[in-house]
Amino acid sequence: MIELKGISKWYNTGANKTYVLRDVDLIIREGEFVSVMGPSGSGKSTLLNILGMLDEPSEGYQYFMGEAVHLLKEKQKSNLYKKNVGFVFQAYHLIDELTVFENIETPLLYQDVKQSERKAMVADMLDRFNIVGKKDLFPAQLSGGQQQLVGIARALIANPKLLLADEPTGNLNSKQGEEIMQLFRKLNDDGVTIVQVTHSEKNAAYGSRVIDLLDGTII
Amino acid sequence: MWKNYLNITVRNLKRHPLFSFINISGLSIGLALCMLIALYLKDEKSFDMFHSKKDRIYRIVRDDIQPDGTATHDGNTGMKQGPAFKEAIPEIEAFVRIQSERLPVKVGNEVFEQEGMYADSNFFSVFDFPMKQGNPATALSGMYSVVLSEDVAVKLFGRKDALNNTIELPLGDDRAFIPFQVTGIVPHSPLNSSIDITMLLPIQLNQRRDGGDNSWLNFFLNSFVVLNENADPKTVEAKMEKVYTASARDEIREMREKFDFKGEMRYGLQTLKEMHLSTKYVSGNGLKDSSKPIYGNILGGIAIFILLIACINFVNLTLARSLKRAKEIGIRKVVGGERRQIIIQFLGETFLLCLIAFLLAVVLVFLALPVFNVLSGKSLSFAYLFDIKLLLVYLGLFLLTSLLAGFYPAFVLSAFDPVKTLYNRVRYAGKNYLAHSLVVLQFAIAAFLIISTITIYRQFNHLTGMDLGYNDKNLIMLRTEQMKSDRLHTFKNELLKDPSIVSIAGRQGGSWYTVAKVDGKSMDFALEVLDTTRFETYQIPLVKGRNLSPSFPSDSTSSVLVNEEFVRRAGWKDINGKQVDFFYDSLKYDVVGVVRDHHYESLAEKIGPQLFIMHPKYSYGELAIKVKEGQGAKAIDHIRKVSKELFPLVPFNYEYKDVTNKRQYEVEEKFQKIISYSAIMAIFISCIGLFGLASLAAEKRTKEIGIRKVLGDSVLGISSRLSIRFLQLVMIAVVIAIPAAWYALNTWLENYPFRINIGAGVFVFTVFILVLIALLTTGYQSLKAARANPVKSLRSE
Ligand SMILES: Nc1ncnc2c1ncn2[C@@H]1O[C@H](COP(=O)(O)OP(=O)(O)OP(=O)(O)O)[C@@H](O)[C@H]1O
Ligand SMILES: [Mg+2]
Repeated sequence: MIELKGISKWYNTGANKTYVLRDVDLIIREGEFVSVMGPSGSGKSTLLNILGMLDEPSEGYQYFMGEAVHLLKEKQKSNLYKKNVGFVFQAYHLIDELTVFENIETPLLYQDVKQSERKAMVADMLDRFNIVGKKDLFPAQLSGGQQQLVGIARALIANPKLLLADEPTGNLNSKQGEEIMQLFRKLNDDGVTIVQVTHSEKNAAYGSRVIDLLDGTII
Repeated sequence: MWKNYLNITVRNLKRHPLFSFINISGLSIGLALCMLIALYLKDEKSFDMFHSKKDRIYRIVRDDIQPDGTATHDGNTGMKQGPAFKEAIPEIEAFVRIQSERLPVKVGNEVFEQEGMYADSNFFSVFDFPMKQGNPATALSGMYSVVLSEDVAVKLFGRKDALNNTIELPLGDDRAFIPFQVTGIVPHSPLNSSIDITMLLPIQLNQRRDGGDNSWLNFFLNSFVVLNENADPKTVEAKMEKVYTASARDEIREMREKFDFKGEMRYGLQTLKEMHLSTKYVSGNGLKDSSKPIYGNILGGIAIFILLIACINFVNLTLARSLKRAKEIGIRKVVGGERRQIIIQFLGETFLLCLIAFLLAVVLVFLALPVFNVLSGKSLSFAYLFDIKLLLVYLGLFLLTSLLAGFYPAFVLSAFDPVKTLYNRVRYAGKNYLAHSLVVLQFAIAAFLIISTITIYRQFNHLTGMDLGYNDKNLIMLRTEQMKSDRLHTFKNELLKDPSIVSIAGRQGGSWYTVAKVDGKSMDFALEVLDTTRFETYQIPLVKGRNLSPSFPSDSTSSVLVNEEFVRRAGWKDINGKQVDFFYDSLKYDVVGVVRDHHYESLAEKIGPQLFIMHPKYSYGELAIKVKEGQGAKAIDHIRKVSKELFPLVPFNYEYKDVTNKRQYEVEEKFQKIISYSAIMAIFISCIGLFGLASLAAEKRTKEIGIRKVLGDSVLGISSRLSIRFLQLVMIAVVIAIPAAWYALNTWLENYPFRINIGAGVFVFTVFILVLIALLTTGYQSLKAARANPVKSLRSE
């Protein structure tokens, strides 16, 4: 599904380059559930963002479902991305002024899905995550776990093939975290490819493979 | 999609009510002002445009060119020019002459004072003034016909039908009242018409009275000509030149010999459309005052300034707050939003806010229109707003404002990198150059307006409070009929019987300029018909020689007084043996005294040479009556009684001299008020903008403030640190504004011969005021932020 070849990412700090990722080669196959681990600052989030095409590598080749991402124009990348990738963040990142329903609906707005269809899809999703009763509440009125559920629901609403999650359970207690992990497990069983960043061995164990990152290189 | 955007917008507005209020109300005020001024300008530009022949109607104007090359421009002509040009130049289809005069009107036993106008009988075929009753083609063809406007008809006849009724006017021999028949009634003339019809009379009456004035060199009315469809005004002007030199040759020669007149005269054509906004050829004699375009320009400038300030607020506040929306933008991008869509969302938001502001502005205009009318001296109506062209202007204004205010934020916001915003890696500091420069610009404009307000106010006070050289307090000016000396004295003696009246002096009424030979050279001066009590009544001291007096019987026929300026111009060291030699009656007068200079004209003019004469051939038409302090009302009762007895047919018409004098500065006064109000608006809008920015800055730095506090910084230290940043901006603004204001105001002041100098005081004061305002607006926010509980602000991070 994804192939990274000689990917590096650096920032110019003064005259020097500070490498965040150094010469990374990585293949992620369809249907995998990969956990990325490593100490703080090792480049996990950066790697995830590059995989999701949110961030651009400084160097290297990248293929996503057969397309050479490094050759694509902004517009094509954006199309590829919004059809196939869903993102989940540690800090949930919901839009505060929108209700649960509206938050989940937002990705569909950018894919020109008709209103009636949107309604049905969001209703489905609410049902699936057992949060129908919360649909008119605002994020601030939800618990952290509920917010993360909404975040995941939003990431999944457009049926992406790839789900990228950056420490999705980082702000949750262990019980909530476990629920999320079980949900991921199930999603993966349904065919969604998942890459998650995590600090917890226990969470990593839900996945099928672990990538260890140290100072921007896979070990 | 749009519903989603709308929800976000509305919820954001609701969540920050103060902020929304500041943002929208500032823009509303700016827009409302622009709308008002657009109305004003439209009205100015629309003057006289309702005449269907407007492209072909021209006024005959003159340039009098002096031997030294300087020219004076004048829009006045005489009876002769219209017919003479029409006869000789085929391109001229028709001419109309108009001249105004205030006349007493007798209806039954009642006498009214009424502004009237003489016009040629084809008046209604040249100008498009509809007639309500009567036949426009013939209404003025009878010698003793009169056309009235509706309101004058009501004034004279009450509700009774005025048509075919009779009024009496003092236009017979020796100004005897003779009957006139009302042959037409016209509606009130449009407000944007230079010609205001009140009481229209055939111009032949005027001609008859002045003995069939057939001179090329008498100028007292306005002549209009209508050219053929295809006529070129330049060609016509050239022909006019020829006609004039040929026909007026003898008259000019005589003038040159008699008056030592060396100038040359050129006739020209001024289009009707340009007339109102022309300052070159002044109006008068039946035409409403023309406007100086400078006032329109200044108003337009102010409108743009204020709209700019409001837009700056909008941009600044939107940008400042947008930082709080960076997260939303990041999320929208992460879930698939493209940059284009984000731009559209934010532009849409701006449009919505602008729309709200716009609707509010319309309400504001509605509420403010009466005040604005008083200020601008216009009678604009709210209905004017709904004119198609003006609506287009407003639409344009709306689009422009929305784009101006929305474009920048939309572009900046849409460029946010989601990776940075969502991972808290954005550093906002240092990116504030734009916001800061805009604040500087805003306050520079505010400072400019404050300095202007104060300076204009000072100049106004300078003009109105200046020593006139005479005392205009408790001085009543009374218009009378023309009186020779004996009648004047009877009147005066009757009036003086009441103890409230201190002294009385007759004047000729109006101003009169002439020319005479002084030491062999010709000299222009103002001529005053003197009554010996003149200087005592006006309290003007004599600086040399003596007053004219009945105890020198020869005074009335052979002596004159002059003012100091006259002596200066004549280059005299002494007045002993000096004489003034009048051309037209070949009489020589001895100069027997010099009076101190005083402002006999408005302060917009320098004091020129003035000469006082008492020859019995002159008559008096005005009385200056000095009354005792606080006894004015009593004196006026007495004056009215005596006038009624002696002159039953003259309407009672008086005014205090100080009131008249003050009225000469109406334009300045109006202007001063308009500028002050705009300055207040500008400052207000700038302040709310600063207030908003300060609150955002404080909010943005709550964490920093929290840390500083934990580290032991004091409330005062923190809040002053926050305020100082804004103070610096205000200071930069002042530094920019001062030279600009200094230059602009000096240019303006050069129009006044008696002007103030701009001292440092006004600048110091402006700095002080602005610093105070900035401290007050930002201080509250800074203090609030500094006093907040640090634990709370840190924990929420
Ligand atoms: N814009 C930037 N400029 C300079 N350095 C950056 C920038 N963005 C990220 N970095 C650096 O890149 C490195 C990797 O960051 P990244 O967020 O990928 O780490 P991480 O492994 O996700 O850490 P954590 O576990 O704390 O989330 C860090 O050292 C960070 O300082
Ligand atoms: Mg990370």
